[in-house]
Amino acid sequence: MATIRFKVNGKEKVVDTHTTKTLLDVLRDDLYLTGSKECCGKGECGSCSVMINDEVVCSCLVLVGQVEGEDIKTVEGVGTSTNMDIIQEAFIKEGATQCGYCTPGFIVAARSFLNKIEKVPTLEEIEEGIAGNICRCTGYTKIVKAIQTAAEERFSRIGAAVTQGNLQGKGD
Amino acid sequence: MTSKWIGKRVPRLDGPERVTGELKYMTDYHYNNMVWGRVLRPPYPYAKIKSMDTTRAKNLPGVIAVLTHEDIPGFNGFGIVVPDQPVLCEDVVRTTADAVALVAAETEEIAEEALALIDVDYERLDAVTDAEFAITEQAPKLHADGNIHSHVVIKNGEVEKAFQEADIILENTFHSPRQMHAFIETEGGWGILEKDGTLTIQCPGQYAYRDRLQIARALAWNPARIRVISSPVGGAFGGKDEITVQIYLALLALHTGGRPVKIHYKREESVIAGMKRHPFKVKMKTAAKKDGTLLANQVLAIADTGAYASLGGAVISLAIEHSCGPYKIPNVDLEGYCVYTNNGIAGAFRGFGVNQVCMGIETHMDMIAAELGIDPIEIRKKNVYHQGDVSSLGHVVKGSVGTWKTLEAAEKCDLWINREKYKAEISEPWKKRGVSIATSFHGVGMGIGLPDYGAASIQLLPGGRFEVGVGCEEIGGGNGTVYAQVAAEILQCDVTDIVVVQGDTSRTLDGGTVTASRSTYTGGRAVATAAPNMLNLLTKAAGEIFGVSEEQVRVADKKVVVYDADGKADSSLSFAEIYDYLYENRRDTRVEGHFMLPKEKKEIKGSGGAPHRLYGYLTHVVMVEVDTLTGETEVLRVVSIPDAGKVINPQGLEGQAEGGAVMGIGYALYEDTIIENGYHKTTNFSNYILPTVKDSPQIETFPVEELEETGPFGAKGIGEVVMIPIIAATISAIHDAVGVRIKHLPATPERVYAALKARKDQTNQSNEENVM
Ligand code: FES
Ligand code: FES
Repeated sequence: MATIRFKVNGKEKVVDTHTTKTLLDVLRDDLYLTGSKECCGKGECGSCSVMINDEVVCSCLVLVGQVEGEDIKTVEGVGTSTNMDIIQEAFIKEGATQCGYCTPGFIVAARSFLNKIEKVPTLEEIEEGIAGNICRCTGYTKIVKAIQTAAEERFSRIGAAVTQGNLQGKGD
Repeated sequence: MTSKWIGKRVPRLDGPERVTGELKYMTDYHYNNMVWGRVLRPPYPYAKIKSMDTTRAKNLPGVIAVLTHEDIPGFNGFGIVVPDQPVLCEDVVRTTADAVALVAAETEEIAEEALALIDVDYERLDAVTDAEFAITEQAPKLHADGNIHSHVVIKNGEVEKAFQEADIILENTFHSPRQMHAFIETEGGWGILEKDGTLTIQCPGQYAYRDRLQIARALAWNPARIRVISSPVGGAFGGKDEITVQIYLALLALHTGGRPVKIHYKREESVIAGMKRHPFKVKMKTAAKKDGTLLANQVLAIADTGAYASLGGAVISLAIEHSCGPYKIPNVDLEGYCVYTNNGIAGAFRGFGVNQVCMGIETHMDMIAAELGIDPIEIRKKNVYHQGDVSSLGHVVKGSVGTWKTLEAAEKCDLWINREKYKAEISEPWKKRGVSIATSFHGVGMGIGLPDYGAASIQLLPGGRFEVGVGCEEIGGGNGTVYAQVAAEILQCDVTDIVVVQGDTSRTLDGGTVTASRSTYTGGRAVATAAPNMLNLLTKAAGEIFGVSEEQVRVADKKVVVYDADGKADSSLSFAEIYDYLYENRRDTRVEGHFMLPKEKKEIKGSGGAPHRLYGYLTHVVMVEVDTLTGETEVLRVVSIPDAGKVINPQGLEGQAEGGAVMGIGYALYEDTIIENGYHKTTNFSNYILPTVKDSPQIETFPVEELEETGPFGAKGIGEVVMIPIIAATISAIHDAVGVRIKHLPATPERVYAALKARKDQTNQSNEENVM
């Protein structure tokens, strides 16, 4: 057992646990952040996706000892039902969630993707951004559309901010 | 009548909690003081249990309970139709998916360790791994009644005579894969013995009331003492229709002193223990006249149900019922066997046997069309039955039939009209493109012989909102939003005024399963039956309050309006005010609606439940590109043309059509759970290839609406047929592209490559022969 400190969604967390426990298990069992799901436990499906310092990783493949001092963002940190992120709004609008079990992983991957792009992405770029996530329900069409919608929204907001000479943050 | 909510793209009402991760699935709950449960599986696919000793496991510190068959208070078996699967095996194991013992422990690790300390002495037996062999006399009998679980036959007309008169006869054998549901949420949940002695089981499922019955039977308890909460579900597709872990949870919960027990399978355990799609061998012989008129169809289908029946009997019945496609073939001889082997367990899966036979008849339609030089859509149009026609099974089809319209829409879609142009736009010189179509259908509801009903409750809530309760679980398709749309349409309120509750035996009525493409149709119709009762309740209350007759009161635009003698609106009350009145007078605020599904009166003898009263129909147009160097196939475009009757929510329908198409592509091209000699070679998603976004084509959905008079606002069901014709269409498109027909699915690169090579060798050979 060891005491491990790291940040989750902007808050300091201290957990006493085995250093070999996966980050996913710690998030779910110790911190009760159950948005991240386990599906394959082997890095094949992306339903456990979280961001570590803005990079998307499969939290089922990361041992908690490895994230000592790091900054982690889970789906719970992307937005809440009373204060949703544009990507979450777009998923609902476009019908990109069905059973929803894969959805948090897609939201994290899509949010990270949106953070990195500098222009409205092509369909191929969007597909690349979520190629590590599996969804068994939707057939992906509406997920891709949702990310496109959110990206367009993001850049139209930035566009508006630029014309107003007021570009702060990322525009979303 | 203009609709406010029906036919509208209403976004999922439960969307916000899904996209934020706030929604708690059953396996997301946390209880302090919990214990972990695990299941011991046998190391052999077929063996006698000579002895079992749990002493060492029980003595391991941290172990709370170790249970075997001796600890089952009631009936040691489960299974939806025939309960032939032991909860915990006693003297024989028939598959590595069997359960032998259960452990509850302080941690998952201790539970795992304890499993290894259970001493079981097995005597290995020779496994039966081939379904055709299993039928023979030489095969060891896996169950007391032998290895044939069910045998169905449908005969009509004179097949032999027709074969003699036919101008063209085709005969082929098709093999289909053991597809895995691969729901993203593996099986799991909680068992809790409450302080009052009742039991709560929180476990995703597809029919809470039936799960409760099966649990109660194993426990020898009154079902009323058990509460099953089964919704929401992280994907099911039929794979959570049967009992998964509910009975294990219940048994363990009786031995943990009230501490909640959790089981949550790792994917590896789910792959072994979970049900799969029945692999089929389908022999089909089809005859036609020169002008393309179908004359006869002869089918022999053998389904491998693995060690236990579950719904295997119903699967083979449905397969045989659908084996002639939505066509009228006057002479048929259709026969199916559902057979026990030691190959895991197969059960319900989206499509329910129809996928396997559709591949046969639709491939034959294509081959006949090609041989006779008839357009593939024309030949289908020529042979389809219409509402009121006699089907191949010999019954008059009474429900709405949209096949012809879907074919016509296919004929007019851009992909079909411009197919030669699109086929020419190959991405590499060594790749080839093909475009093809296929059509199919799928029964809605249970067929003859099984109870089939829907039920819904509506309760007026404080503040004037309504709680709509429907037993049917939310397994992903968005039926909850459909129920809210139906309720809001009739109750004249906003969909956001509707709170939907699903899948909880203490809060919802028994309204049947979320299977058989039935939950929109049945649940929707039940809500549409309950809602007028709520209108009555509201108008009656308003009449009392104002002292006027009920006829003067109507519900309109979120209120109850009282009209004067001239028919002018006089005064009104909000639903909230009505609630307050009812509450103050201690009056009931809840109504119910019940609906019996219409059925055919006469069962076709020997068919095991055919025909259905109602079918959903669908045509797919597919374009593929095949790499002639590697044999790899990519599906580039799909047009999905469903006849779902009235479409209640176009966005939800598209969601089904898109998800179903991609699942069908997986079936056609990649997916197969490999079991060799009774052992699963497939372990996880690393060696079970699921379609990713990269494999997902451009999908367009163009519904035709052939209204069904018995459905809610004319709706039918579509949840299964959305994945069916695409399988045959994809395989035919491969043929269109490169000239080879793959009859053993999935059409992996290896199989396509081998077929291409065989054809090349053959051509070379005949060239050489020509030279000589
Ligand atoms: S659970 Fe982590 S990638 Fe599947
Ligand atoms: S919505 Fe069910 S797996 Fe993606």
